Amino acid sequence: MKNDKTAPSNLGALFNKKDTIIAIVMIAMIAFLWFETTKFEKVPDLFSNNIPPEMFPQILLLIILGMILIIPFEHIFLKKSGKNIDSARSKPVEKSTIGTMIILTAIIASSQLLGAALTIIAVSISLPLYWGERRLKVLISYIIGFPLFVIVLFNIILGVHFEPGLLDLLKN
Amino acid sequence: MEDVAKGLGLLLEFENIILILSGVLIGVLVGALPGLSSPMAIALLIPFTISLDPVAAISMMAALYCAGTFGGSITAILINAPGAPPAVATALDGYPMAKNGEPGRALGLAAVSSVFGGIFSLIIFIFAAPLLAKLALEFGPAEYFGLAVFALSMLASMSGKSSLRNLISGLVGVLIGTIGIHLTTGVERFTFDIPDLEEGIHFVPVLIGLFAVSELFKQSEKLNAIVERIQAKALRLPSLAELKKLKYTILRSSGIGTFIGILPAEGSTVAAIIGYNEARRWSKDKDKFGKGSPEGIAGPEAANNAAAGGAMVPTLALGIPGSGSTALILAALIMHGFRPGPYLISETPEFVYAIFGAMLIANLGFLFIGLIGAKFFSLVAFIPKKLLWPAVFIFSMIGSYSFASSMFDVWVMLAAGLVGYFMDRNGFSAAPLVMGLILGKLVEESFSQSMIIHDNNFFALLESPVVLLFFVLTFLSLSSPFWTKFFSKK
Repeated sequence: MKNDKTAPSNLGALFNKKDTIIAIVMIAMIAFLWFETTKFEKVPDLFSNNIPPEMFPQILLLIILGMILIIPFEHIFLKKSGKNIDSARSKPVEKSTIGTMIILTAIIASSQLLGAALTIIAVSISLPLYWGERRLKVLISYIIGFPLFVIVLFNIILGVHFEPGLLDLLKN
Repeated sequence: MEDVAKGLGLLLEFENIILILSGVLIGVLVGALPGLSSPMAIALLIPFTISLDPVAAISMMAALYCAGTFGGSITAILINAPGAPPAVATALDGYPMAKNGEPGRALGLAAVSSVFGGIFSLIIFIFAAPLLAKLALEFGPAEYFGLAVFALSMLASMSGKSSLRNLISGLVGVLIGTIGIHLTTGVERFTFDIPDLEEGIHFVPVLIGLFAVSELFKQSEKLNAIVERIQAKALRLPSLAELKKLKYTILRSSGIGTFIGILPAEGSTVAAIIGYNEARRWSKDKDKFGKGSPEGIAGPEAANNAAAGGAMVPTLALGIPGSGSTALILAALIMHGFRPGPYLISETPEFVYAIFGAMLIANLGFLFIGLIGAKFFSLVAFIPKKLLWPAVFIFSMIGSYSFASSMFDVWVMLAAGLVGYFMDRNGFSAAPLVMGLILGKLVEESFSQSMIIHDNNFFALLESPVVLLFFVLTFLSLSSPFWTKFFSKK
């Protein structure tokens, strides 16, 4: 009975919870990718020189799988050499970081509609405001000055093609 | 010597000099801006250098790399936050010296030691290059495969906390490299019926995402961090008497840095730390270390810049980079149609010497720029993060988009940024993934060719002594954590 009681805590010490989750997710991805390799078009041996297109990815997937199986226990070896794998992830992801990720994803998703110039302006407005920049003079000069600089440098001087997007509609 | 002259001749065009000096300026600026790094700047620069002549493009990036290593010491000295990892040891004595009211002296010591270290390593390379070129005669597909396997094994010690996670990152990079149409058979692999994936995932948006966008996410966690900044009015060059006192420290560290830089996958950071430790060990004033010792600045600075030059040797001669920056320079070389490795030196020696010439100019350039612009660079550190990082994101978007005028690449960049952020939180480094992605095609191609040549008999590869040597080195590299522990116990 005594042994049964201590078993979970020993197991807990053996596995790193976060690394175990990572390992499970990665193993699931490997299984999915392996399945994908079985669906690759079949090529005659003569044509593929006996090296079918799935061979190399499958070798890689197997090696990665072998390494991933060690990940949940790796913290034990790292601790012995004075390294703490949990130091960077001890705190949850900050709200400001999640918000930043959402804003940038939304901007990129709407960039084809907005066009390049408006997308640049959208980034210049939304990120500083979201991050708490409230100095009006600074904001206005940044929102006008920086996109203008970028458009002149990349579109006019370097000749990068900027999609007009909404601006084209307004023009017409 | 004829090749050296030809190489330097390539640089003498006005446009090339301007581009090298721009690289120096960007490098020092990026170094002086906390959070920005040379790999990030090189990643952002790559798409815009496609249309340039390869000499001009690579020279600019090499100059940026050299100057960025020095630039990192500006923030290390003025705000006690190394702008780049190689400057971590410089902060130990640079910041106390700046706090003691001598920021200009600290910057001057860092600049002169960096210049000396950088030039020292370049001279060594000029003599070593012909010997490395002879290696090329021994190389066929099997040898390239052996070399690529060795390069991948070296990813283990590239950066980060865990060798295992570095290797996984590297192999995932190689796996990403298999996406798209298989060159030999024309079969689509991992394309999931998405037309944009047929040509594979290009490394430019991936590396912009991994180096710039993921850093933006990291910086968004500490937007309101307050740092104490010391303003430098001017960079003050050390006197001759002071240089005389420091000559052995600088020479020793330059030697250490060059040697460590040449070792594949050992970068400037390791060199700087060893340079600092050795400076302390040989110093007569050990007590002054940590309180603003000039040797504590000269030692790591000479070592890290010497290592920057030294690291270009395995990058160019073997295709094995020692750091994020050299990995990106390698990527740029491949993009410009070069195949880094032994043939690069034997077939295009003037190109290789031109790169080293550019690094030489860069070393002198950042001393000059530091002399006239120290005050400006110390002010640069005051640019608010809330305005700086949106600008970085805009450059990232334009860089990813302009590469192939494709919005798909912008999505790849964002995805790489998100993946890079979570990788970093969980101890997986980005640099090995990029390296894997860059080396991936070479690994598969040389593997296939070797197997065809040897009738699919893997063990026949070992008949080549060079392949055998690389496999032994791979084994030693992967087992190093065990045998170093074994010997340290003894």
